[in-house]
Amino acid sequence: MAKTQTKSGTIVHPHYGCTVGAAYSVAAIKNAVPIANCGPGCMYKQFFLLSFDNGFQGSAGAGGGNVPSANVGENDIVFGGEKKLDDLIKSSLAVLKGDLFVVLTGCSGELIGDNVESVVRKYQEQGFPVIAAQTGGFKGTNLTGHEIVIEAIINQFVGDYDGEKEQGLVNLWFDVPYFHQNWRGDYLEIVRILRASGLKVNVLFGAQSGGVEEWKQIPKAQFNLVISPWVGVKTAKLLERKYHQPFLHIPEIPIGEEATTAFIRKVVEFAGIDKAKSEAFIKEESDLYYYFLEHFAEFFSEYWFGLPSQFAVVGDSAYTLAYTKYLASQIGMIPVAQIITDNPPERYRESIREHFHNLAEGVSVEPEFIEDGYQVEQKLKETDFGSGIPLILGTTWESDVVAEKGGLLIEVGPPTTEEVTINKTYIGYRGAFTLLERIYSAAVGGK
Amino acid sequence: MGKRKINLAMSSVENREMRLGTIIAWDGKASELVEQSDYDSRSKNKEKGGCAGNGRKACRMCELYSPLNQQTMCANAIVECQIGNLTDCILIQHSPIGCAADNAWFNLAFKLGLTRRHKPIQNLQIFCTNLLEKDMVFGASDKLRQAIREAKERFNAKAIFISMSCSTAIIGEDIDSIADELEPEVGVPVVPLHCEGFRSKHWSTGFDISQHGVARQIVKKNPVKQPDLINIVALWGSDYFTDMLKPLGLRVNYMIDTASYDELAQASEAVATATFCHTLGSYMATALEQHFGVPQIDAPQPYGFAATDEWFRAIAKIVGKEEETEAYIQAEHERVMPKILELREKFKGVKGFVMTGSSYSHGLISVLRELGIEVQGSIVFHHDPVYDSGAEHQNTLKYLVDNYGDVPHFTVSKTQAFQLPQVFRRVETDFVIIRHQGLAPEAAKLGIPALAMGDEHIPVGYDGMIRTGEILLDILARKRFNQVLQRHVDLPYTEWWQAQNDPFLLSKNPEILDEVLEQAKERKGA
Repeated sequence: MAKTQTKSGTIVHPHYGCTVGAAYSVAAIKNAVPIANCGPGCMYKQFFLLSFDNGFQGSAGAGGGNVPSANVGENDIVFGGEKKLDDLIKSSLAVLKGDLFVVLTGCSGELIGDNVESVVRKYQEQGFPVIAAQTGGFKGTNLTGHEIVIEAIINQFVGDYDGEKEQGLVNLWFDVPYFHQNWRGDYLEIVRILRASGLKVNVLFGAQSGGVEEWKQIPKAQFNLVISPWVGVKTAKLLERKYHQPFLHIPEIPIGEEATTAFIRKVVEFAGIDKAKSEAFIKEESDLYYYFLEHFAEFFSEYWFGLPSQFAVVGDSAYTLAYTKYLASQIGMIPVAQIITDNPPERYRESIREHFHNLAEGVSVEPEFIEDGYQVEQKLKETDFGSGIPLILGTTWESDVVAEKGGLLIEVGPPTTEEVTINKTYIGYRGAFTLLERIYSAAVGGK
Repeated sequence: MGKRKINLAMSSVENREMRLGTIIAWDGKASELVEQSDYDSRSKNKEKGGCAGNGRKACRMCELYSPLNQQTMCANAIVECQIGNLTDCILIQHSPIGCAADNAWFNLAFKLGLTRRHKPIQNLQIFCTNLLEKDMVFGASDKLRQAIREAKERFNAKAIFISMSCSTAIIGEDIDSIADELEPEVGVPVVPLHCEGFRSKHWSTGFDISQHGVARQIVKKNPVKQPDLINIVALWGSDYFTDMLKPLGLRVNYMIDTASYDELAQASEAVATATFCHTLGSYMATALEQHFGVPQIDAPQPYGFAATDEWFRAIAKIVGKEEETEAYIQAEHERVMPKILELREKFKGVKGFVMTGSSYSHGLISVLRELGIEVQGSIVFHHDPVYDSGAEHQNTLKYLVDNYGDVPHFTVSKTQAFQLPQVFRRVETDFVIIRHQGLAPEAAKLGIPALAMGDEHIPVGYDGMIRTGEILLDILARKRFNQVLQRHVDLPYTEWWQAQNDPFLLSKNPEILDEVLEQAKERKGA
């Protein structure tokens, strides 16, 4: 883990959950059930930052706000929690529908050294699909947890494979479910784009995924596609070793026609599939995109009463980069404070910086890595947004400072408590306009 | 032996299950629970310094053990929702970052609470020491020391509270010593709170821990009486108590949520302490009574006509306004009755169900029955057979049963949504009233709309019955949404579980799980 910037590493106004929050990554897999081997409040706490207070996302199936939990108590700390975990797994298997059960062990279980593997092995030997992940909250963020859980599923459930690969089949490693509040809509858009370009996709999370069964198909894919500055690269490297799959790493989530078109060409080139289909799709989508953009241009050029220009983004590496890139390079807004709150590992930070240095011809900004919300807010307080209305894409935590500056706050990350998300996306060809609608509706007074 | 007192010399609080005999799983009639609770003799035992809780076997209530549990709250979360919602004090969570992941939820509650209490809106400012793996190995006391200094420097906190988490308790962080050490340096009270999530089987111990810290280190030791001040132990509810108590010449001092340091400190100067919920307020009221001579209101909670009458009378007795209060009570009855009669007409044949914290449910059921709504069942998240006060007239469940009749299906269960298909098969209901997350979305899929009673003061007092009734009319209309959901969305449970009829089957017959799994294996094999 990289160092935080306070003397003590204290955090006020957290922008991420802890490792065990990856229970929500499990909950995002169709027919998978997280089992929390945790204290009584752990899942409750993660639920709020990642789901409820992150656009009031809601959940389906057996995850969400009702994760089976050992609710580890004092007796379990003193005498060991293995019997209780055994009871919990057994009863979860009987009561909850599921094709994969993932036991996530939190701080208590890890610190007292419960032998979770031996409990889980008993069920595995009987043929039940139960696996275990060591996700003590002190190991880091829910993003760390996301990678730990994926690795556990691949190693313990997907297993070894040395059969054929299927040309044109890609494993998608993209938004972190729940953490990225628009993940459902984002997946719809990116999957739509990939399929229309001629690829077959193991979607893995969310509505269009084949769920647990699809995870079994991971080894058959031709390659892995990572769309994020850093989350998922570790997974791709694991799969490269394990299944000899190459991976394509695209750090910038594409927003708007130019980025999305470039994204498609890159992926199609890497896959080596026929370009006719993707080029036809690009043509169709580009025509649509500029049809809409032309109409938007009338408002954008002719609105008499002032529009925001200088903007800040407070968010994780992926979306701080994606939003900054789009607004700066395609709309001509001016980035003045780009604050990255997800604590990316040191080894990725230089490359993340470089992307911000090359947003467009002559457009460069220095991103800052700050996890402590207090310092984020201090930074915004000090930022000069010029003569216009400051625009901040951020979270509920920034609401006080934005109000103080008389700015516009569009909540795009955890926590978000002034926005309801059902099926929304700000990415790709189609999501770009939803983003513009959101920003400029707020700018013209629609809140 | 004298009356067993709350011990403010100690920094930690004995858990509710030990102090009061609190249980978290039980199923039967409310009248049976009243009988088994044996409030009066527990109360007497408590006075004698004997067993009120489960210290001795004879005092222990029968309780069910479930092999399957779903996520719940914990005492650490409760401390956030209490101490983390003060306007000018700082809570430091000494923990990994995950313990702070619900800050955003209590922030939402805090901001709404500030609006309802007409205070400036601000985000809460809880610190988290953000502990990592190396801190688990080498200890994290220096991080905590630095965080205390930062809390003072950044926010000029009037008091700094430290909350213990599971991990810091396991690695043995000594928050008491650090609090003592840093208090002179920062020059404000530094209050350790032993609220690690694993320590109590029920989160409500967290209320007691928060209140203990406030009573021990914030409340003025040399009070100057304010004869018109009354403490109301509350959460974030709308300020209805001011209007209710104005005719008795009283000003309200709400505690703990949304309060300032000074408001908490003056609690010892009030003439009395009352609450909307004894589950929440009993510890504070008793501590203030025993240590600062502030009497608590020995009455049922103010829900429905009779209890609200008694509540006012008990307060009137303390402030010497009996006569005026009788007139006030009569006038209030006359004022609200026409509207109540109108509502009763509208609710003819309507049935309701309550899923909330313990004594709050007792009050809500009274309100529903005042409105003519039939209540066949309720789920409470725990049950305290006695409160800290042991006060004669605070036996809320008995009051409900004696005045409004039995509740045939009264269930004690800690937010266990998997039991709901069975629960709603044996009772009929047109809506549920909920607090705490996880239950309403499950009820929703069973076709039942929910009133999320986020503003807990809505049902309080005479007007509370009207407020509740009017909101329920809106909620009943939502049934159309729930019917759509029910038609198209499946439950997350296996066919086997959905075919069962007893919500506590797994507790009563855990061996059945082996049979079910054996059958599942055979099916797979075949």
